[in-house]
Amino acid sequence: MSKSFRALGLAVGALALTHLPAAAQTKVTNQGISADEIVIGTHQDLSGPIKFWGVPVSNGMKMAVEEINAAGGIHGRKIKLVIEDSGYDPKRAVLASQKMVERDKVFAMVGPMGSPTVLASQDVLFDAGVLQLFPLTAAEFTYKFDPAKPQERLKFSNILPYVESTRAGLKYMMELKGFKKPCIMYQDDEYGKNVFDGFNQQLEVMKVPAASVTTFKRGASDFSAQIAKMKSDGCDLVLLGAVIREPIGAMTEAKKLGWDVTFLGATPVNVLEVPALGKEAVEGLYSISGFEIPYEDTAKGKVKEWLTNYKKMFDSPANTQAIIGYNAVQTFAFYVEKAGKDLTGQKLLDALESGAEFRDIFNSPPTKFSKTNHLATTITQVQQVKNGRWVLIKDGLIF
Amino acid sequence: MRFIFKTDYEDDIRLLPHSGYIWTYGTLLVLLALAPFMFSSYIMSQIVFVCIYATVGVGLLILSGFTGQASLGHAAFLAIGAYTAGYLQQYDVPFPVYFLGAGLLTGAVGALVGFPALRLQGIYLVIATISFAFIVEEILARWESVTHGNEGMRVKTLSLFGAAIPRDSASFYYLCLGFLILIIVGTLNLMRSPTGRAFIAIRDSETAARSMGVNVALYKVKAFAISAAITGFAGVLFAHKMTFISPEMFTLQLSIEFIIVILIGGTFSLHGAVLGAIFLVMIDPFLTYLKDDMPGIIAGVAATFGASKATASNIQSNVAAFASANGLKGAIYGVIIMVFVLFEPLGLYGRWLKIKLFFQLFPLYKRATFKRQKIYVKSERNR
Repeated sequence: MSKSFRALGLAVGALALTHLPAAAQTKVTNQGISADEIVIGTHQDLSGPIKFWGVPVSNGMKMAVEEINAAGGIHGRKIKLVIEDSGYDPKRAVLASQKMVERDKVFAMVGPMGSPTVLASQDVLFDAGVLQLFPLTAAEFTYKFDPAKPQERLKFSNILPYVESTRAGLKYMMELKGFKKPCIMYQDDEYGKNVFDGFNQQLEVMKVPAASVTTFKRGASDFSAQIAKMKSDGCDLVLLGAVIREPIGAMTEAKKLGWDVTFLGATPVNVLEVPALGKEAVEGLYSISGFEIPYEDTAKGKVKEWLTNYKKMFDSPANTQAIIGYNAVQTFAFYVEKAGKDLTGQKLLDALESGAEFRDIFNSPPTKFSKTNHLATTITQVQQVKNGRWVLIKDGLIF
Repeated sequence: MRFIFKTDYEDDIRLLPHSGYIWTYGTLLVLLALAPFMFSSYIMSQIVFVCIYATVGVGLLILSGFTGQASLGHAAFLAIGAYTAGYLQQYDVPFPVYFLGAGLLTGAVGALVGFPALRLQGIYLVIATISFAFIVEEILARWESVTHGNEGMRVKTLSLFGAAIPRDSASFYYLCLGFLILIIVGTLNLMRSPTGRAFIAIRDSETAARSMGVNVALYKVKAFAISAAITGFAGVLFAHKMTFISPEMFTLQLSIEFIIVILIGGTFSLHGAVLGAIFLVMIDPFLTYLKDDMPGIIAGVAATFGASKATASNIQSNVAAFASANGLKGAIYGVIIMVFVLFEPLGLYGRWLKIKLFFQLFPLYKRATFKRQKIYVKSERNR
C-alpha cells in the first residue's frame, strides 16, 4: 500500500503547492527527444462525426512531417508522428493521450482535434509536462491560462477564435453595407454558442439590436422555419454559425422564397466544400476566415507545388483542413528550430514565448506568442463566393 | 465434478455456494488490489473506465436483464449524476454528500420515468427512453445557469476528507473498484430478496407475476429507480474521471454502448456486466496495440520462416498500412458484435460457462446442454 499512500501524500502536497503564489515553475518534459528523433503525438477523429475534419488534418500533418524529414529533419532530428483515432469520444481521447504519453513517450501533443476531447485529456498532458500545441478547436480554454497554475502555461493555440473573428467580420460587414437589422442562425452546440456570443458582444458595442435569433440542431437539413422567421423579422444580414451543409440549405431556402438577403458565415463555413457542393445556391455568400484558400490553377510557387504534392500523396485535392494540419506541424518545427541544437522542453517553451514570428507559405497572418499571450493571432479576413470560388474581399480586420 | 448437496433454504441462496468460490474470487480480489503496483497508469485508467462502465452495466442489468424493461436512456441518468456532482461541487459540498445526492436525485428521476413506462412494452419502451434521453440532453444544453450549456463544465479534483484524489491516482481506482464491488454484492443480495424475485417474475411473464400477487407497477418503478440511482452514482465517478462534462458527451451513442456492455457480456448474470465492460473499454486500446506492434511481430515470424530481410520489411510496411487504415477499428468492432449476437446470445459469460462445463464433464460434454429449448415462442405468450 505504500505507493498509494505516497501518491496520496504527493497529491496532498501538490494541492498545498497550488495554494502557494505563482512562484512554482512550469514542469516541461524532455521525453521523446533523442539524438536523431523527436516523437510527437496527436489524436484525431478518423472514424466519428467530424472525420471530414480529422482525416484531412492528419493528412496535412503527415505531409509536413515527410517534408521536414526529407529535408534532413530539425537540427538532424527527424520527426516521428503518432496518430491515434479518438472518434470524437472524450473517453478514447483520454486513453489515447495516456497511451501516447506513456508508451510512445511523446514530447508534445500537436493539433489534437475537438473541444470535449481536448478538454478531457489535457490534464494528462499537463501532469506529465507535455506541451499541448495548436489544438483544432477555437474555444478559449486552448489559450487562456491561469498564471497561478504553472502547468497551464503548456498550452498554445494558433486557430482564429470564434468570438473574436465573428466580431471582426461582423463589424466590417455592418460598416461596409450599413446593415440595420442583423440576424443570426447558429448551430446548437458549443461552437454555435461562441459565434452567438461574438454576435451579441459586437452588436452591443455598435448599439444595434438583433432583429432575429434562430438556432438549428447539428445535422439538421430543413431550414424553412428559420428562414421564414428571419424573413418576416425583416433581416438584412444573416450571420451563419454553421458548418457545411447548413449554409447551402439556408441559402437554397431563401432563394426559393425569393428573399434577397446577405449571408455571412463564421470561419468554419470558409471551406472548399461549401461552393463545391452548393454551386450557384451559395453564390454571393460572405464568410469570415483566417487565411486564403489556394486554388491549384491560380496558385503560384511554393503553394502550387504544395497543392500538387498533396494531391499526389493522398489522391484527393487539398482543403482548408489539410492546410491547418500542415501548419500545425510546420509551426511546431519552426519553434523547435528556434529552440536550438540541444533541444529540451524548457528551451522549446522559451522559444514559443520569445515572440519570434512564424510565417507560413499560405500568406496567413503571422503566428506570435508571448509570456502572457498564448494565442497566435486574431487578425481576420472576409471572403466571398464568386463564380464558385472563395475570393478575398478584405484582410487585416480586427474588431 | 462437484456436487453440492443442499439440505436447507440457506444453502440455496448462499452467495458463495462452496469453498471454490472463496479461492477464485479471493485471488481475483488480491490481484485487483495489487493492480496499481503492477500496471502503468495507462492500463489503470482503462481499468477505472471498466469499473465505471461495469457499474452502469449492473444498473442496466437490473432493469433490462432481470426485469425485462429495455432502456436506451441510461446516458441521461449518467448525465444527471455527473452534472449534480459538477453543480454541487461549485458550492464546496463535500464528496460524500454530493455523491449520495446525485444517486438519490437520479433515482427519483428514474422513478418518474418509470411511471409513464408502465404502459409501454418492448420497442415502444425503448422509444420512450430514447426521447427521455433527448429531453435531458436538451435541458443540459439550455439550462445555462446550472449546466453552463454547450460550453460544458469543468469538474474539480475529487477531495475526500481533506485529501485530494486525482483521477489517475491509485486511490481513485480503489474508490471506483470498491464502489463496483459494493454495487455487485448489493445487487446479488437484492436479487435473492422478494424484490429481486418479483423483478424476474415480471420479466418472464407479467400475467403470471400478477396472478401470483406481484404488484407489477410498483416493482417496475422500483426497478427503474434502482437502476437509475446506480447509474447516477457511476455518473459522479465518470465526471471525476473525465474532469470535464458537456451535453454532447451523453448522447444516444453512449446509451448504445451501455446496451452493448450487457449484450456482449451476457444479460442473465452480473458477470456479464463486468465482462462486457472489459470488452467495450479495452477493445480499442487492444486494437491500438495490435496496430502498433503486430506488423513487427508478423515480420519477425516471416523472417524466422526464412523470408529475406527485404520481404520481411515489405510485409511489415504492408501490414502497418492495412492496420492503420481509417475505420478499420470500427469494422472489426461491428463484426465482433454481429458474431456475438448471432452465435453467442448468452454473451461472454455464456461462453465462459460452456468452456467451464466442457472441462468439468470431459469427455462427456454435450453441445445440446445450452441449446435453447423452444417450448413456446415469446410472442405466443399471453402478457
